[in-house]
Amino acid sequence: MLADPLLRAWLWLIGLSLGSTAVSLWYWPPSFTALAGAVVLVLAWLKARVILARYLGLSAAPFWRRGFEISLALFCLLLLGLYLAPLAA
Amino acid sequence: MTEDSVLDELPGDLMIWVLIVSELLVFGAGLAAFLAVRITDPAGFAEAQDALHRTGAGINTVVLVTSGALAAWALRLREGARRGAARLALIAAALLGVVFLWVKGAEYAAKAAHGIGWDTHPFYTFYYLLTGFHAAHVVAGVLVLLLVAWKDAPRNIEAGAAFWHMVDLVWVLLFPVIYLLR
Repeated sequence: MLADPLLRAWLWLIGLSLGSTAVSLWYWPPSFTALAGAVVLVLAWLKARVILARYLGLSAAPFWRRGFEISLALFCLLLLGLYLAPLAA
Repeated sequence: MTEDSVLDELPGDLMIWVLIVSELLVFGAGLAAFLAVRITDPAGFAEAQDALHRTGAGINTVVLVTSGALAAWALRLREGARRGAARLALIAAALLGVVFLWVKGAEYAAKAAHGIGWDTHPFYTFYYLLTGFHAAHVVAGVLVLLLVAWKDAPRNIEAGAAFWHMVDLVWVLLFPVIYLLR
């Protein structure tokens, strides 16, 4: 049954969602807060990839899948930069 | 003789993709603005964020991605000529959308009970704006899912499910930025 890509996608999304919530609820020493934030954003990007590929069907359209994934990766990098900016000040 | 276009690769109707990209740009701009304003007061944003219920929002994420899976399954069932099962999957997806809204409503009610409004802190201005706008899309999505459960041509279900996946996609980006990044 796990051969079903849709079922696998759903399980991945559940795992990634619970994982990012757990990372956020975990106590991180102040010097590791930025790392935790980066992990949360990477997990968000992974979730978005799964939704695009499996729910929205872009796995069958490699050109568009690559375009969306790169755009989303750049957007998540922008968010990470903005998130880390107060630490650099 | 027809000419193959890269646009033909896109699953479903081109216009639903125009809508998806538009919505991603609007919410993306809102999330970037939220983090840009946070730079001016990171301590105030962190304190305001601590009043949010992260576990509740995490549960709501599970609810929404499960609803998305049901919508995707509905399309597959309909294409396999299993109309009744497809309709049930769409109705179940819509009901999970209602569960999401119910949890969101409880969250807003708890904030109101603590005297927290949109003007309490800039954090909450963005919080209510972004999560409220997203909740409005969930309401629209629930209605769309019920509509395509009724008018269940495969093309209708594909468009309705794609709208619902867009709502899902926005949430998986909004949830970590508003609720989780500390």
